[in-house]
Amino acid sequence: MELANDWMNAAHSTGTSIMAATFDGGVVVGADSRTTTGAYIANRVTDKLTKVTDHIYCCRSGSAADTQAIADIVGYHLEFHSMELGEEPLVEVGANVFKELCYNYRDSLSAGILVAGWDKKHGGQIYSIPIGGMCVKQSVSIGGSGSSYVYGYVDSNYKLNMTKDECVKFVITTLALAMSRDGSSGGVVRVGIITEKGVERKVVLGDELPKFFEE
Amino acid sequence: MSSIGTGYDLSASQFSPDGRVFQVEYAMKAVENSGTVIGLKGSDGIVLAAEKLILSKLHEPSTNQRIFNIDQHIGMAFSGLIADARQIVQIARREAAEYRQQYRLSIPLKYLNDRVSMYMHAYTLYSAIRPYGCSVILSGYENGEPVMYTIDPSGVSYGNLGCATGKAKQSAKTEIEKLKLSQMPCRELVKEAAKIIYLVHDELKDKNFELELSWVCKDSNGHHQRVPENVYQEAEKAAKQAMEADSESDNEDM
Amino acid sequence: MSSILCPEIPSPGFSFENCRRNAMLEVKGHAMPKAQKTGTTIVGIIYKDGVILGADTRATEDTTVADKNCEKIHYLAPNMYCCGAGTAADTEMTTQMVASQLELHRLYTNRVVRVATANQMLKQYLFRYQGYIGAALVLGGVDSTGPNLYCIYPHGSTDKLPYTTMGSGSLAAMAVFESRWKPDLEEAEGIKLVRDAIAAGIFNDLGSGSNVDVCVIKKGSVDYKRTYDEANIKGQKQNSYKYPRGVTDVLSTKVVDIEEVSVRVIGAPEDMEIA
Repeated sequence: MELANDWMNAAHSTGTSIMAATFDGGVVVGADSRTTTGAYIANRVTDKLTKVTDHIYCCRSGSAADTQAIADIVGYHLEFHSMELGEEPLVEVGANVFKELCYNYRDSLSAGILVAGWDKKHGGQIYSIPIGGMCVKQSVSIGGSGSSYVYGYVDSNYKLNMTKDECVKFVITTLALAMSRDGSSGGVVRVGIITEKGVERKVVLGDELPKFFEE
Repeated sequence: MSSIGTGYDLSASQFSPDGRVFQVEYAMKAVENSGTVIGLKGSDGIVLAAEKLILSKLHEPSTNQRIFNIDQHIGMAFSGLIADARQIVQIARREAAEYRQQYRLSIPLKYLNDRVSMYMHAYTLYSAIRPYGCSVILSGYENGEPVMYTIDPSGVSYGNLGCATGKAKQSAKTEIEKLKLSQMPCRELVKEAAKIIYLVHDELKDKNFELELSWVCKDSNGHHQRVPENVYQEAEKAAKQAMEADSESDNEDM
Repeated sequence: MSSILCPEIPSPGFSFENCRRNAMLEVKGHAMPKAQKTGTTIVGIIYKDGVILGADTRATEDTTVADKNCEKIHYLAPNMYCCGAGTAADTEMTTQMVASQLELHRLYTNRVVRVATANQMLKQYLFRYQGYIGAALVLGGVDSTGPNLYCIYPHGSTDKLPYTTMGSGSLAAMAVFESRWKPDLEEAEGIKLVRDAIAAGIFNDLGSGSNVDVCVIKKGSVDYKRTYDEANIKGQKQNSYKYPRGVTDVLSTKVVDIEEVSVRVIGAPEDMEIA
């Protein structure tokens, strides 16, 4: 009999709902807050929105250890790069450094990452880097296990050039829908609004989430 | 060079008592023995021009180039030892390619200049190796802005509006200073560059030479390339006419 | 296939080839030697003035209790301690290694080292070994930024939390925290809560047992309460069930003399065969 449970040694993974959406003047990132090991919720208030630079954030899904390590390494790279150049790195550059790591180590990593941010050259941008290390630019992007439930909602409700408030509301609603249908997503909704001015963080607690049809 | 032979010039890793590194100074001499190269920064781009001295009657035109592409948007011209320069071209190209691979962005010239000059400087520090016997001019066009740097064998680099290295760098610089560079578009600069190269060419010492012209500007879409054939012909014609006019006026004075 | 244009990239980091081989051998029926594991309950909370760490003291080898009173709260730095669950040797060596690095770092910088620094060192160390170092840790300490508590998993992921539990008894302990933890607890309340959480692990988890160790870390002081509580003291028996001497009847008696025997070896022993 093994006394130490299996999940002790199982990799932590963020069975997740994450998303990012561009709006007029910036980008909104959002995520649920559940980290699971098997059936146990190891952390119910996780912050899956991780800062990379002052104007670039990433949403992490997949193995927690892998994505935390990648985000740390990319943060280090970009800080070094911006010191050498004397200016803030572009979001595109950040995404490419993520991609380079995710692709080169694709056999040993399980990480699905959304890179979102704002830069002087191109404004708010989102790059999606799924498992395998592809990198695509998108206006709106969703990821993690919860995303499968809300593709339709996103396709029918996202519009270009929303205002900031419209976009934040859209992100919260989408995530609330995903969390209510996906067993491995849940907790609170964390939101980050990235604009020229920097990042504004918000939390929507579990009992403040929008409600939908329930019977 | 009064201190020649005092024994302090055998190694790049040793100073002379008066604080000089002779190996580096000798490297600069190697640069001064080669044909003149100039770079002009105009309002909308940069023009590079080189005087390629032809030592053999059997030389085939347009070979042994002295202006290279480093990346789509960056050019490099050199004066000095061609073999040394080709090595620098190679590492500059590698830097540019690696940067593009890592960041999916064309390398900023400022950054490339830092890397190449650090590389050249490293060769002035050790006794087992000699400094590079060439100066290079880097030209680029990024975000609608022309940028130009020169790097000496010592590893020192300068940002320039106009620059010249090689045999006749002094007289070339004097000519460049006469121009109102910031108000001139590349189309005109090409002619001026050709004129200067023809003007500073010393017909008594070096008989033949070939003019090389490249630009990186708005008209070339931000790409570094040799100037189109018609522009080249026009520039060469203008240069030759200027030379003739010059010699006629000289005669009149007599 | 390797070529100049497309060079084969040598695989980065450590080689885990032998780990894969061992896993294969195990499937084929060659059992691995069992390591000493601390089927454990370890916990940590942040309270008003600092951090309180707690641990049980049972170490197991398979189903056997290998050590009834082991230490699971490890020293990292004067302002930092770390509870370890998982493979006992791994938690011990990992914390010792990081403790030494932190001490050197303190001497280099002449500052009180930060908990975030220890967290980063531990996670990077564990990540390199891809989970093969079986150390699950609860790291707590106080530094210039205030009290800090981290939860570190064997694969190298970490969480920063106000209260956390780890090990096989973590579910029982978490149940206690989820119902009773609140911000800015008093020290006495905090210690009571940590004791109760560990006790929940001791009583409800087979892998945890014996005593409760508690470590209270405040700004400028550490109170390591080794054997804070014996959660499971044997009760006093109401009666003595010992039989007095002479209760058993003697039915018969027989006395036998001991014979003296002596043995003498004759002749030299045979030469050893060498072939």
